Amino acid sequence: MEQRISFYKEHYDVIVIGGALAGMSAALSLAKQGKSVLILERHNLPGGVATSFVRGGVEMEASLHEMMSIGSKEHPLSVRTYLEDLGVNIDWLRVPEAYRLYVPTDHIDTTLHAGVDEDGVYIAAKEIEKVCPGNQEKIDKLLHICKEIVDSTNYLNEHEVSKIDMVKNHWSMTVTAGYSAQEVMDALGISKDAQKLLSGYWIYVGQPISSLPFTIFGYLMGDYMTGGSYVPRDFSFGMASAMAKRCEELGVQFELGVEVDKILVKDRKAYGVRTKDGDEIHGTYIVSGVYPDAVYGRMIEPLSEVPEQAYKLIHGRKESVSCFSVVLQLDQTPEELGIEDYSVFDSDTPFDPDAFWEEGKGLGPWHYLTTICLNKANPEAVRKGTTSLSITALPLPESFFNVKADDYYETRRKIARYFIERESKRIGVNLFDHILEIEYETPVSVYHYVGQHRGGIYGYQHTMEDSVAARLLHYGEEHYIKNLAWASAASLAGDGMAVCINNGAIAAKIIEGWDGEKGE
Amino acid sequence: MKMAKLKIKNLLTDLTGQMRADKKRKACIKAGSPVNDYSDPIKDLCQELHPEFTEVEVREVEDVSLTARRIFFKPLPGFVLPPFEAGQYAVIDLEIGNTKTSRPYSICSAPYQARQGEESFFAITVRKGKPGEGFASDFLYETKPGARFTVHLPFGHFNVEPLRDSNNLVALAGGSGITPFLSMGLEIAHGTLDATLTILYGSASYNDIVLEKQLSELTGRCKKIKVVNVISGEGLAIKEGDEKGFLSAEVISKYMGADPTFFVCGPLPMYRFVSRELEKLNVPKRRIHMEVFGGPKDIRKDEGYPASIQTQTFSLTVVRGIHETVIPALSTESLAVSLERAGIYVRTCCRSGSCGACRVEVLSGDFFVAKEGDGRRMADKANGFVHSCSTYPLSDMKIKVNIH
Repeated sequence: MEQRISFYKEHYDVIVIGGALAGMSAALSLAKQGKSVLILERHNLPGGVATSFVRGGVEMEASLHEMMSIGSKEHPLSVRTYLEDLGVNIDWLRVPEAYRLYVPTDHIDTTLHAGVDEDGVYIAAKEIEKVCPGNQEKIDKLLHICKEIVDSTNYLNEHEVSKIDMVKNHWSMTVTAGYSAQEVMDALGISKDAQKLLSGYWIYVGQPISSLPFTIFGYLMGDYMTGGSYVPRDFSFGMASAMAKRCEELGVQFELGVEVDKILVKDRKAYGVRTKDGDEIHGTYIVSGVYPDAVYGRMIEPLSEVPEQAYKLIHGRKESVSCFSVVLQLDQTPEELGIEDYSVFDSDTPFDPDAFWEEGKGLGPWHYLTTICLNKANPEAVRKGTTSLSITALPLPESFFNVKADDYYETRRKIARYFIERESKRIGVNLFDHILEIEYETPVSVYHYVGQHRGGIYGYQHTMEDSVAARLLHYGEEHYIKNLAWASAASLAGDGMAVCINNGAIAAKIIEGWDGEKGE
Repeated sequence: MKMAKLKIKNLLTDLTGQMRADKKRKACIKAGSPVNDYSDPIKDLCQELHPEFTEVEVREVEDVSLTARRIFFKPLPGFVLPPFEAGQYAVIDLEIGNTKTSRPYSICSAPYQARQGEESFFAITVRKGKPGEGFASDFLYETKPGARFTVHLPFGHFNVEPLRDSNNLVALAGGSGITPFLSMGLEIAHGTLDATLTILYGSASYNDIVLEKQLSELTGRCKKIKVVNVISGEGLAIKEGDEKGFLSAEVISKYMGADPTFFVCGPLPMYRFVSRELEKLNVPKRRIHMEVFGGPKDIRKDEGYPASIQTQTFSLTVVRGIHETVIPALSTESLAVSLERAGIYVRTCCRSGSCGACRVEVLSGDFFVAKEGDGRRMADKANGFVHSCSTYPLSDMKIKVNIH
C-alpha cells in the first residue's frame, strides 16, 4: 500500500461538481476568466447523458439528441458562437427536417422544415397552410414573435435591463411572459388543428402546451424553426469530448471517476467538497451539477446549514421528466426498411398532450413516441448496411418508483416491446426480425450513468410560476447558500443540451459577479 | 419585419401577467413543506440493481473437471446479490502479493439462485492455468470455504434478449466458455427463461470437459436442454450422441434446427474458426452473439503490431491529479497490468478492451491497441483516450488515470 498522496491543490477558485455539458461550460468560461478550476465527475466519461455507447463494436447515439442554438456557419446562433469563442471545435451536421408529426386517428401526417423563405415567411407556416388553410399569416407572426423571444433572451443573457427597457425594446417577451403557449396561440387566432402541428415539438420540454409558459415555447420554436437543429459528426459524446479536451487545454483539472459526497458549508457559505473517497477539497466557489433536491436533501454538510426556505422552494417546484428509450441497431438500411424520416413524433391515439402527460406518471403504455433515425442526419456514423434507430418517450421519474428490482428487466422489456411493435406497425416492417443490437435507457439507467436525482434529465417543469422569467426574477432571494452556483438542467434557463451549455455560461457569469462584489 | 404591437388580452393585463406568475411562485413556495424529506426511489432501485460492490464469502468449492473448480459465493450479512440475466459476468477483486487486481468471470449459476433470500448465492468456475499462465485463476482455484472477496456484478451483454433472439438457442462452447451456458440452462429448467438450448461443446478430449456432471444432471431433468460433446482429439473413442472433430458447419447444421440464435463463448482461435463456419451456413449476423474474451495472449502476434519493437521495458509516467509517478511498463503487457504491478489501482471490468471501465488518457507516447474487442468511441480514438486493459506501450508514455 502506498501512502495517501495528495492529488489536489490546497485550494481552487472554483470546484465544479459534475463534468456534464453545463459543468464543463461553466468551467470553460471560468478558466477563460483566469480562475483555477477543478471538475469532479463521478463517471469515467465526460458529458453526462450527452453520451454514446458501443455495442458489438458499433457506436450508438444514446437517444434523441440534437442541438438547437447552433445555426449555420454563415448565420451562427448563440451556442455555436459561444463554443467557438471558447475554442471548442465541433463539426456540426444539419438535421434534414424539423419533424414529422404522424397521428392517423386525427388524420395528421405533416412534415415541417426549419428556415425562412426568400419572401421572409417561415417555411413551416407555408407547410401548415397546405393542410390547415387560413393559418399561414398567423403562424408566421407567431414564429416571428418566437424569434424576438430568442433575441431578447440572448440579449438579457448578456445585459442588465430596466423595466422601461423591457417594455421599450423587448415588447414581445414582456407581454407574453404571463401566458401559456396555448393562450398566445389562441390570442393569435391560430386554429386548433394548426396548433397541434405546432405542438409536436413539445416533447422536447415534456409538458402540455396548456401549462407551458410561452417564453420557453417561444424560445424553443424561435431558435429551432429559424436555425434548424444539428448533431455533432462524432456523436453527442464527440461534443462532450471536445469540451473536456478544451477544459484541459485551458488548465482545468478534470478528474473522472471521483464522486462528490458532500458540499461543505459554514455560516451559510460553501467552502469545499468531500469526495466519496474521503478527500476534502477547498474552493472559493462551488458549482453544482447535482439538482438542488439532492444537494439540500443529502449533500450539504452539515444539513443544519440548509434554511427551511430552501426546502420550501424545492417542495414547491415540480420535478420534470426522465426518459425511456430503446436504441436499436438494425440489419438493413433505412431505405430497405422503409424508414423515411430523421425524426417522427407519433401517436396511435388522438393528439392530446394533456393525456400524454398524465400517461407519463405510470408505466404506460405511453402513446406519444419519438423515433429518430440517425442515418438521416449522420449517415457516416452508422455501419454500412445497417440502421441506427431510437424510440423514446419522456415519462416522469415517478413512473418507475414502484418497480421491484426483480421485475426491472421484464418491465423495461415490456415497454420496449410495445415501442417496437408501434413503430413496426407505422412503417409496415416487423422490426423484431432485424435487430442486431438493442439497448434500453430508463430512469434507473440514467441514474446509474450520471447519478442525477431520481434519474431526471430535464430538471424542473416549466410551469407558469417556474418559468425562466420567474426563475430569473427571484434568483437573488432564492439563493440560500453563498458561493454555491448551479449548472444543470435544473438551473435558470432550463433543460436540453444547448440550454445546459447556456446554464453553465450563466453560472460562470454569476460567479464573476460575486467575485466582483468581493473585490469592491 | 416590424409588426404592430402585440396584444394577448389587453395591455394592462399583458403587462401584469408576469406579476401574476410571480405571485403564484411565492404561493407555491409558501405552501412547500419546510422539512427535509429527501428520498430517491430511483437511486434505491438503481443501487439494488447495480450495487457498487458486494462482500461475499466462499460457501463451497467443488471440482468440476480435472483442472477446474466451481466456487459458490454467498453474500455477507448486510449485502444482497443483485438480479442479473443468464450469461452475464461478475468481477472479483483480488489481492495477490502486492498486486491489487480484478478479473471477470461468467456467472455459472442461475439468476433465480441469486434471489432466494437466505439461500442466495452465485457461482463461477475457474480453471487452473498452465504453469506461468492464469495468475488470478490459479489463485482462485486454491481458494477455500470461508475466504472473503469483494465482487461487482452484473456486467456484460452476453445474455438472451427475447426481443432480439429466437427461442431456439444454440450454444457453441469451448473449454471454460461453457460456464454461461450452465447459467442459461439452469434458468430454462427453472421455467424463468422460455427457450430451448442446444449446447455444442468442443473439447480436445473427454478429460477437458468442464461441468460434465452438472450438465448431464440438467439434461436429465429438462428436455429443453441438450448437450453434444464435440471431441477433437485424435484416436479417441466417441460416446453415443457425441461428435468427433470440431464445431464445423457440418456438425452445427446437424443440430441447429430452425431459426437458431447462436451464442459463442470460448478461446480466441475458436471464435475465428466458428465465425467462418457460421458464415458458410449463411447465418444472419443478428443471430450470432459472441462473448468478449480476454486480451490476446501475445500482443506481438496481433495483426499490425510493429515488427520493429523489441520486447523491452518502457518508462510510464502516470498522472493522477497533480501527482506524477514514473513506473516501468513492459511492452508485452497492457497498461492496466503495468499499473497494477506498480500498485496503482485501476478499475477494470471486462479486461478485453470492450467496456471502457479502465479508460485512461494518453498525454504522450506511442501505443498499440489490440484490435479484437476494441470498444472505444469515435471521439476517444481521435482524442487519445484508450482502454488500458487492451493498450500496449510502444515507447515511453505519459498517461492520466483516475484518482482512487
